[in-house]
Amino acid sequence: MSTPVRNYTPRRVNWRSSGAPATEAPAPTATGELDILEDEQLFEEISWAEEDSAPVVERLDSSDIAVAVDHASMIYRIRSSTEYLNSTGRFSRQLRRITGSGWANVPALQDLSFVVRQGESVGVIGTNGSGKSTLMKLLTGKIRPTTGEIYATSTPIMLGVNAALVKQLSGRENIKLGCLAMGLTPKEAAEKYDMVVELSGLEDSLNLPLKSYSSGMASRLQFAIATAVDPDILIIDEALNTGDAQFRARTKRRLDEVRQQAGCVFLVSHSLGTIKQMCSRVLWIEQGRLLADGDPEWVTQQYQEYTEHKSQNRMRSAQIVYERTLMQLDQVQVEFDSGTRPKRAG
Amino acid sequence: MATPTAERSAAPTHVDEPRQAGHVVQLDGSSLVRVGARPRLLDYVQRLWAFRHFIIYDSHSKVQTANSNDAMGRVWMVVNPILSGLAYFLVFGLLLDLSRGISNFIGYLIIGVFMFRYTTSAVSSGASSMVSNQSVVQAFNFPRASLPFAINVRELFANVPMLIVMALLVITIGDIPLADTPPTPVSVDWLWLFIFPVLALNFLLSTGLGMLLARAVSAYTDVKHMISFGMRIWFYTSAVFFTVDRFAGSPGGEYIEFVMYHNPMFCVLDIIRSTWLYGEMADPYRWVVLTVSSVSIFIIGFLVFWHGEEKYGRER
Repeated sequence: MSTPVRNYTPRRVNWRSSGAPATEAPAPTATGELDILEDEQLFEEISWAEEDSAPVVERLDSSDIAVAVDHASMIYRIRSSTEYLNSTGRFSRQLRRITGSGWANVPALQDLSFVVRQGESVGVIGTNGSGKSTLMKLLTGKIRPTTGEIYATSTPIMLGVNAALVKQLSGRENIKLGCLAMGLTPKEAAEKYDMVVELSGLEDSLNLPLKSYSSGMASRLQFAIATAVDPDILIIDEALNTGDAQFRARTKRRLDEVRQQAGCVFLVSHSLGTIKQMCSRVLWIEQGRLLADGDPEWVTQQYQEYTEHKSQNRMRSAQIVYERTLMQLDQVQVEFDSGTRPKRAG
Repeated sequence: MATPTAERSAAPTHVDEPRQAGHVVQLDGSSLVRVGARPRLLDYVQRLWAFRHFIIYDSHSKVQTANSNDAMGRVWMVVNPILSGLAYFLVFGLLLDLSRGISNFIGYLIIGVFMFRYTTSAVSSGASSMVSNQSVVQAFNFPRASLPFAINVRELFANVPMLIVMALLVITIGDIPLADTPPTPVSVDWLWLFIFPVLALNFLLSTGLGMLLARAVSAYTDVKHMISFGMRIWFYTSAVFFTVDRFAGSPGGEYIEFVMYHNPMFCVLDIIRSTWLYGEMADPYRWVVLTVSSVSIFIIGFLVFWHGEEKYGRER
């Protein structure tokens, strides 16, 4: 690969790292140019190598699979009152402007496929708005992909801080309601109650309505409630980053327990350290596409390089890292034996 | 090599066609399930039954907190219908003088207004259950029909004080004579117990309508505007403050009567009024119409709602 970018310092003294938004891509300096040339050669080489290879066929044991994503893509179609701006016809534009209604198509994920085996813990990284959360929503079945399907041994459960709670109810009632909404019986909910309270650390304010809680307290409670289930396939969304140090330590213990029990874990995080520590495989999603899928060390290194280029406003270099990584991606295609494509609900 | 795009992002400027997959994975899918798929009808009913504790707890807690921001709290559950009954009495009883020919007009009006208020709020909140609980729908995996059910159970709980007030008002002031109509004395007897089967059928009716409309509102929120309009029309045409006898003899009167007699809401009101106010059994035909229509609306509503199970979680 190219030289590590972290150690790279531009020669031009007035090259500001985060200032003036350049209208063009930054003019490459001598070193920059070298960098790019090097990458370009690499780019060519790989692309030639890629076209020659024939697809590798692999047979997987079905008891080994936890999740199979088959050509899933997502385009959100949402109502938007400013959609008339994109309308080309003069008449329809005026009509939409007056009624203030219209559909906006927001592409969130491009066609992607991958297979996750039992016992794998998969990290998911990507910059903001890259489509990580959309992928997680698809995996949990909250929304249906525009094309393609998601298959799993059981419905994956998301652990996050977005579990909905009722503002007027007290913390105690919210715990019970949340547990019941996740499908626990009243008996199981009562058993989990002490664990949830202990994890949230909110013993003193359990009888107050939720609207009196600070946002930190509320998200602690939400997270604690979410951990009351022991799912088979677990998705953790940025959960480790909430709360103070004390809460984080407690969470980590509980999360380790849940992860031990779960057959397969997805961890969405911006903390590359956590990802490298906990995951055996990393998916990098960028601009709505699966960019890399593989060894945590290598993927996080590419990701770091990419974000560093972007934060320094070196768009071309970032683009090159993007292309180069994409070249290495092993595109997977899922094929089911005839007649075994799953249809039933989990 | 890619050129910088207009918005200066490192987005792939060439949107390449899906490349030839370099890796084909073959597997036997019989042990997998499709995530988020709609269960078969019987499974769905079973799941719904498993979530009954959630339905009851949710409705119970929402009743308790419904008026928690008001200084008078739950007193409003009782005061609200009384005030609206008073308003209708002023307008229709005194100003428009529709009470002519109706014995026990005050009781007649109280039963109509109270029961209709209950049904209206149950149907319209059931209809918006998917849209207004978007965050809950997206956060948890539960059979979505639990929400319209929970809302209807909630309305039932919330209206227990209203029903008690209704009974008390009918007993105390229901038979006060107005102007020229002879009153029929109201007395409490075993016939009053018919309120329970009527409430049960009314529950099926409002739940079924709620589920039917919830699917429509979730697809097109515009329907919400039509619901309040439709409920108002239904209110004015269900003989809440006049009698069907008014139309007897007028041109087209028999058609109006025919429509009235097949309106389930009119049947609800008529059965309660006959048994509570006039101490007699209602026309058996009312029972037939009410039972058939509420059960069939419930079944249709449930099927329609179940059929859209996968669509309620989408962004809007």
